[in-house]
Amino acid sequence: MKTEDLIHRLSADLAPVRRLPPPRHRLALWLAVSLPCLAAIALLVGLRPDLAQCLADQRFLIGNAAALLTGIAAAWAALATTVPGFSHKAVLGLPLAPALAWLISAGEGCWRQWQLRGWSDIDSILHQKCLPEIIGTGLIPALALIVLSRRGAGLHPGLTAGLAALAAAATGSAALSLFHGGDTAWVTLTWHVGGAGLISALAALAGPRLFRHPASFPPV
Amino acid sequence: MNTSHHDDSARWSGWLAAAQQGDGAAYGRLLAELAPVARRMAVKAWGRTEDVEDVVQDILLTLHNIRHTYDSSRPFLPWFAAIVDHRVKDALRKRRRHQGRETAIDEIPETFLARPANTKTTDAMDLRKAVAKLPPGQRQAVELLKLQEMSLHEASTASGQSVAALKVAMHRAVKTLKGLLGP
Repeated sequence: MKTEDLIHRLSADLAPVRRLPPPRHRLALWLAVSLPCLAAIALLVGLRPDLAQCLADQRFLIGNAAALLTGIAAAWAALATTVPGFSHKAVLGLPLAPALAWLISAGEGCWRQWQLRGWSDIDSILHQKCLPEIIGTGLIPALALIVLSRRGAGLHPGLTAGLAALAAAATGSAALSLFHGGDTAWVTLTWHVGGAGLISALAALAGPRLFRHPASFPPV
Repeated sequence: MNTSHHDDSARWSGWLAAAQQGDGAAYGRLLAELAPVARRMAVKAWGRTEDVEDVVQDILLTLHNIRHTYDSSRPFLPWFAAIVDHRVKDALRKRRRHQGRETAIDEIPETFLARPANTKTTDAMDLRKAVAKLPPGQRQAVELLKLQEMSLHEASTASGQSVAALKVAMHRAVKTLKGLLGP
């Protein structure tokens, strides 16, 4: 087909389209869906008995605030990747800062625990695998983010899926800390931070299956 | 960015915003102006003019499919350049994949559709006569390995000849048959 014919075909009987809302609007929608769901899960399962004590602990607050901010920043970044021409620096840089804070906070916890009790608590990694709980808690935020991202352009499906998974896992981890107690610093580092990294990497690999290639579906 | 680019970008942005509302005329003008721009950008990245029209059409189709993602409060060119960049890289990946599976042929072997051209030299009767003329060792190798489709080990067991001897006999048989059947 000649390019002129294609142009004629595409512009003839052109249907109006609903413009994609900017990433910040979609992020607000995602938060409006996800946060009440996470709060409902925490209330249904039951808040941990030592929550008041935890909330008075600066380390607990910093670690979980970093996880929550990682989730929110990664969600924005995932949505931003579905708009052609996004800034790679912003998309990768914004979630990186809180993610590093989350990692450092968990690492500092391990360092402190190692100084106090040596390696005696490290086997808690094997007994307390929080990954299924994180996945379960982050499932609704993940699905909501996939739905919101699929409205955009799937030009970078691996990046979008990886960031969406990071967002869901990080918010899931923050929510989990409200109703799931007794995690050692080793468990937080391995299953919360490491688990989020693992889920993101797997999602990035599965990305092309989750998001349609922009040239693979018939013209809208 | 110079004034001309700024003017183009503002005009295209306006046309695409109108196209999002269903204005086919504005959309037609937009695509007609973007096609040569896409062609230039694709040739620059693609490095050749051959097949570039396919890439240009891919770019226009992708733009069409995701035209709802353009926000007219944002500059047009980065949005369009990202689509061009994505489609050109995709085309380059496809080209590399195809090149890995293709073999360049300088001269296509000449052949004819007419039946005699394909059967005369390999006529079954001629072949059987030629095999019959082979020395006994070579004939046995052809019969066991080619006609009865035995493996070298099976043929060795059946004939009592070593595998190496069968290989030599088969090699010589092929040479003899070539001589008997002509060029």
